[in-house]
Amino acid sequence: MKIKFLIRRYNPADGEAPEPYYQAYSVEVSEGMTVLEALLKISEEEDPTLSFRRSCRSAICGSCAMTVNGFARLTCSLQVLPEYKKMGEMTIEPLANHRPIKDLVVDMEPFWSKIDKASPFLTPTEESINNPVTTEAQALIDDSQRCIMCGCCNAECNSLEIDGHFIGPAASAKAWRFVGDVREGQQGRRLAKLSEEHGVWDCVRCIHCSQYCPKDVKPLKQIELLRSAAMRHGILDNPGAKHVDAMADSVERVGRLDEAAMTFKTLGFLRSIGMIPMGIKLELHGKMPHPYLIPQIEKIDEVRKIYGEMDRKAGRKPRKKEE
Amino acid sequence: MTRETDDSTRLVAKMLGIELHEMPKASCCGAGLLTDYDYPLYIALNARIFAEAEAMGMDILTICSTCLMVMSTANRDLKRDPKLLDETNGVLSRTGLGYSGKVEVKQLLWVLAGDYGLENLKRQVKRPLHWIKAAPFYGCHSLRPSDALGFDDPEKPWSLEATIKALGAEPVEYRGKTKCCGFQVDLVAEKTAEKMTAVRLLDGKSKGANCFVTPCPFCHINLDNYQRLAEKTVDKKIEMPVFHLSQLVGLALGLTPGALGLGRHLVSPEKVVR
Repeated sequence: MKIKFLIRRYNPADGEAPEPYYQAYSVEVSEGMTVLEALLKISEEEDPTLSFRRSCRSAICGSCAMTVNGFARLTCSLQVLPEYKKMGEMTIEPLANHRPIKDLVVDMEPFWSKIDKASPFLTPTEESINNPVTTEAQALIDDSQRCIMCGCCNAECNSLEIDGHFIGPAASAKAWRFVGDVREGQQGRRLAKLSEEHGVWDCVRCIHCSQYCPKDVKPLKQIELLRSAAMRHGILDNPGAKHVDAMADSVERVGRLDEAAMTFKTLGFLRSIGMIPMGIKLELHGKMPHPYLIPQIEKIDEVRKIYGEMDRKAGRKPRKKEE
Repeated sequence: MTRETDDSTRLVAKMLGIELHEMPKASCCGAGLLTDYDYPLYIALNARIFAEAEAMGMDILTICSTCLMVMSTANRDLKRDPKLLDETNGVLSRTGLGYSGKVEVKQLLWVLAGDYGLENLKRQVKRPLHWIKAAPFYGCHSLRPSDALGFDDPEKPWSLEATIKALGAEPVEYRGKTKCCGFQVDLVAEKTAEKMTAVRLLDGKSKGANCFVTPCPFCHINLDNYQRLAEKTVDKKIEMPVFHLSQLVGLALGLTPGALGLGRHLVSPEKVVR
């Protein structure tokens, strides 16, 4: 079956056509052929100037990630026919959120510098190095260890799309690989750094990273684990942790999301004052949430009992009651 | 903040003959924040919600995509992992409750496009909205994670466009329809949230939309309530009315703007209501 591939071409060194453009190729596709095999066919039989990265062809090296029909995919593990049948097109572009260098090749330097920021090596203490890595301990970091650093998650990350300084899902998953390791000795220092601006609390929970990771690393899950660990380590003086803490408080108190109380507790007094103009607009439209006026759910005692039980299991101090 | 979603959903359901039953015990799902706080607590609180539905002999309908995602993810984990279900039931039993894992969680969009059926919906339309060009804004939590949600396709979703068409309006195609509104970081990384909201609205606007429609009240908070802040961030006038899905359905069923709470929006939908 002949299928039209529409490929984004770009060569800034080409004096005549330095701007990106789309070029169509007609490819004879056979059952089982991967997108990468189709690209190799184009480059070998039709157009040797087409540039793209690839190596292992077995979803291990992580080189061949590209945008296929709008989403980041590892092209060696994506078959053409089912994809074409579903999407009705075959458009290949470089990974999003990364600067294209030529055709489908992108600059991975920012990706690596984010990984570097996560200090991707163990920093044990003399005691922690002797902690035994049991099967259970290993299971905690199993997901994060599957990462092949292809960049699909960072390319899909909506937060990174808007804020290039955000640490991103790949480096966050890598950070959990070490924070979650029983032999690590600097969890507190790592978690404090990860809780800073542009750190793990800036994730917008769009779930693109976990959806499009070709190795099921579940970066969002690792971000959640880092956030939980940071709060357990008492790193609470940041908007992200305050927001979560306010939610935990609100649900235990009334069983519901108390929007006004949560805003105030997350922002604190001074930043809440900055919200007053917005609050007036909301009030005029009958939308201003009023704190401490929302009714409790029925049987709130059940919710509080569950909190108590879980506090006990987690060895957590019960929250202070504000009655 | 978006009581009009609740009101308009009840009105629309009544007109369509969809019977809704209150869940007076149900707590907040945690909106993802309790997942960050303590995963087992998040699972147990959601299992308590499922236990209530199970005791009522019903599935759950939510009008919020984030509730949908958070509950469905908890439900997936409980159904997948017998040990987790067991431990969670151990905690629930302290309150005399239990969950067997049989409840399904749905949102209004799925009930309309699935259970109720769009052909049936079409027959109920009294005022086809032929002048409306709506940008469908799914938001993240209607589509992902697809292994927990399952109803629609995360890369090629159809349900919102098909519902818009059933109402006689025209859906507008644009890349941002499956992307994030930024709500989750409204209070944590405001600049990211505001710029993201602006980028999504401008994306739909550039493709000719005269309004947005979303099945998610959190997306609505950003797209509508925070639209003025978003405009400031990118220094551009956007002026884009945003409907809750239930409101657009209600308009086509002949309900008045007042009954649907359109006056509560910060960006007036007046010019596209007629």
